[in-house]
Amino acid sequence: MNPMSGEIIRLTDLPLQLCGIVRNIETDDEEAQRLKTLGVCPGRRVELVRSGDPMVLKIFGTRLGLAGSLAARVLVEICVPDNCGLGRKDDIQ
Amino acid sequence: MKAPMEFPVVNPARLRRTQPFTLALVGNPNAGKTTLFNVLTGLRAKTANFPGTTVECKTGSLNLGVERVSVIDLPGLYSLDSTSPEEKVASEALCGRVAGTATPTAALVVVDATNLERNLFLVSQVLELERPIIVALNMMDMAQRDGIRIDIQKLQEELGCAVVPISARIGSGICDLKREISKLAGIVPAEAVGHFKPACASCSGCAFQARYEWTEKICTKVTDARAVRRSVWTDRLDGIFTDPIAGVAVFLAVMLSLFALIFWVAKIPMDLIDHLFASIGGLVAAWVPAGDLQSLLVNGVIGGVGGILVFMPQICILFFALSIIEDTGYLARAAFVMDKIMRRFGLPGKAFVPMLSAHACAIPAVMSARVIENPRDRLVTILITPLMTCPARIPVYAMVTALIFPNSPWKAALIFTGAYAAGIVVALAVTLIFRRTILPGGSKPLIIELPQYRIPGLRTAFLHTLDRAKMFVKQAGTIILTISLVLWALSYYPKSAPPTAAVGMTQQAAQVEKSGDTAKADELRDSADRLTQQYSLQNSYAGKIGRTIEPVIKPLGFDWQIGIGIVSSFAAREVIVSTLAIVYGVGEDAAEHNRSSLYDSLRHATRSDGMPIFNTATCVSLLVFYILAAQCLSTTVVVRRETNSWKWPLFQIAYMSGLAYVASFLVYQILRYLT
Repeated sequence: MNPMSGEIIRLTDLPLQLCGIVRNIETDDEEAQRLKTLGVCPGRRVELVRSGDPMVLKIFGTRLGLAGSLAARVLVEICVPDNCGLGRKDDIQ
Repeated sequence: MKAPMEFPVVNPARLRRTQPFTLALVGNPNAGKTTLFNVLTGLRAKTANFPGTTVECKTGSLNLGVERVSVIDLPGLYSLDSTSPEEKVASEALCGRVAGTATPTAALVVVDATNLERNLFLVSQVLELERPIIVALNMMDMAQRDGIRIDIQKLQEELGCAVVPISARIGSGICDLKREISKLAGIVPAEAVGHFKPACASCSGCAFQARYEWTEKICTKVTDARAVRRSVWTDRLDGIFTDPIAGVAVFLAVMLSLFALIFWVAKIPMDLIDHLFASIGGLVAAWVPAGDLQSLLVNGVIGGVGGILVFMPQICILFFALSIIEDTGYLARAAFVMDKIMRRFGLPGKAFVPMLSAHACAIPAVMSARVIENPRDRLVTILITPLMTCPARIPVYAMVTALIFPNSPWKAALIFTGAYAAGIVVALAVTLIFRRTILPGGSKPLIIELPQYRIPGLRTAFLHTLDRAKMFVKQAGTIILTISLVLWALSYYPKSAPPTAAVGMTQQAAQVEKSGDTAKADELRDSADRLTQQYSLQNSYAGKIGRTIEPVIKPLGFDWQIGIGIVSSFAAREVIVSTLAIVYGVGEDAAEHNRSSLYDSLRHATRSDGMPIFNTATCVSLLVFYILAAQCLSTTVVVRRETNSWKWPLFQIAYMSGLAYVASFLVYQILRYLT
């Protein structure tokens, strides 16, 4: 399995060190609100730093520890690897 | 997105005339808000709960040269519409919706400069409140190290409010910040500020998305992404600290060091305090003639105050260390790494901190449960924390093992280990039961920010420690003292005349002394004293209660004399050893200095039918009772403080004592049947 750029997958399936752009969070509840508040919100870019349960995400300048059950509800679009660099999003459009 | 159109003009000077100027500190958790608060207000800050909650609010006053303004430090929050209780209270207090708390005139938003994009989210919401605001761009030293250059002028224009770059930890930029606050407070004339409105709330679609697009836009404008060279230290350390195996090992090492600090290091000052109060008691006893007043002063007041202050070293050490661990950013990793393990029992990762600390003392442990954000998770943890074996139980364990296995150290060690393990196992089992009954649902799925590692601030740690210590003495101390006085009275009144045997001995002692044998005379007097002590305790209210509850505790294998011990150890369980020493006529000193004579007389103590009281069944039953029963008044009072009601501490006493009763009953009945 080799996820392609542009493919939409669950955050739990995102390969290490790859970036994804959050597209959707399933079921809008308190936890989803919390995720969005902390930046895991549609349009934001996340990078997986440590896989497993719980996992570590890099988002903006910080890291977020996230339970697998929550990560499974987040759908991300894999973005072009070359453009992902150190995770700033101003270098892609 | 709509273009920012509205510029409501806020004239701070006019606001000031109608109400006293109050500045609220708002910011994300980990943005260094409390450090800044400490720098601004110094030692004069006061910590109190928001009315009707367990959420803390710090207030202090800031000296602006000619005038002082009051400052409130609100709990850290990520968003104004967060649902977690702490964040909710912070947001409501900022909007002036908390009764009994002054509505802030202006807001000082503390922003982590190394994480501008996320922090601006909150700024955008606060801007919409149309209140005078200043943005303090904190941690500029770290931002500079990471190559994050922020165009302050541009950011100021974008936000439409004053932006002051500072570093609260090293104290830079504070003067500029104070100048800006003076302007807002109307002390120094200020130009009217046109507030920018991010106009996010009105956007259709996801409000979060719109707001984050806004913060992203600003960030690209004011910072140069190419120059950013983030420190690799956080990456490197996290490679170890968040690893499922190495991380747990590091965590255990950190926690065991913390435990060693509160278990062994704290023992030195604790012994000093004990000695100090013992010698003060001795001095007072020498000055005040024997009688009610002397006993009240020595055993009631001085003993009571000493009993409160003796907890201080552990509280101070634990909170100082915890503050440092939290400040470095490690605590978040500890929570991350332990989350999966603790979750099986329905507890969050951070519950490990109070559970381990409780093995040194339940009081600081219950207070340390504050590291757990979710109030439900915190409550469950507080409820089970006192089941851990604290050092106050050790004298009881030692007594019981000495009675059952007098000559077998390894069997004694086995009992000790078993008792410790029993505390932990029962605590986890009780957690599972609570999670299925009174506090249903597991712990919330983990979402935790892992902040960058940084050098901890000693000043912040020091002030935090001082705060906890003061809180314990002021709020818990008074109640503990009152109840210890009541317990003193119960064991002192009603007074009874010395028994005839004791009177006889004293007379005999006087005669012996005349004949020159002072050693014999002292011995006789000591025996008379012991007899008097024993007699008066047996006839006191405590003795009466012991007799009254005998039918209740008989199925556990306890007689009325052990009953007196249980009554007297309601406030502090270790007291049972000295009480038993008095009740069985060995004298209080034996409990301190001559344990073997105490154990001997306990072994030989018999019931009215001539059978030994302390047989194996009774001993094990007593051990089980002391593992499980809630017999620490100070813990109860601290639980009341932390849960803000008497409901939970009373429930705790009820369930622990109930558990202790049932378990001891079963153990005694089974062992009696077997032996």
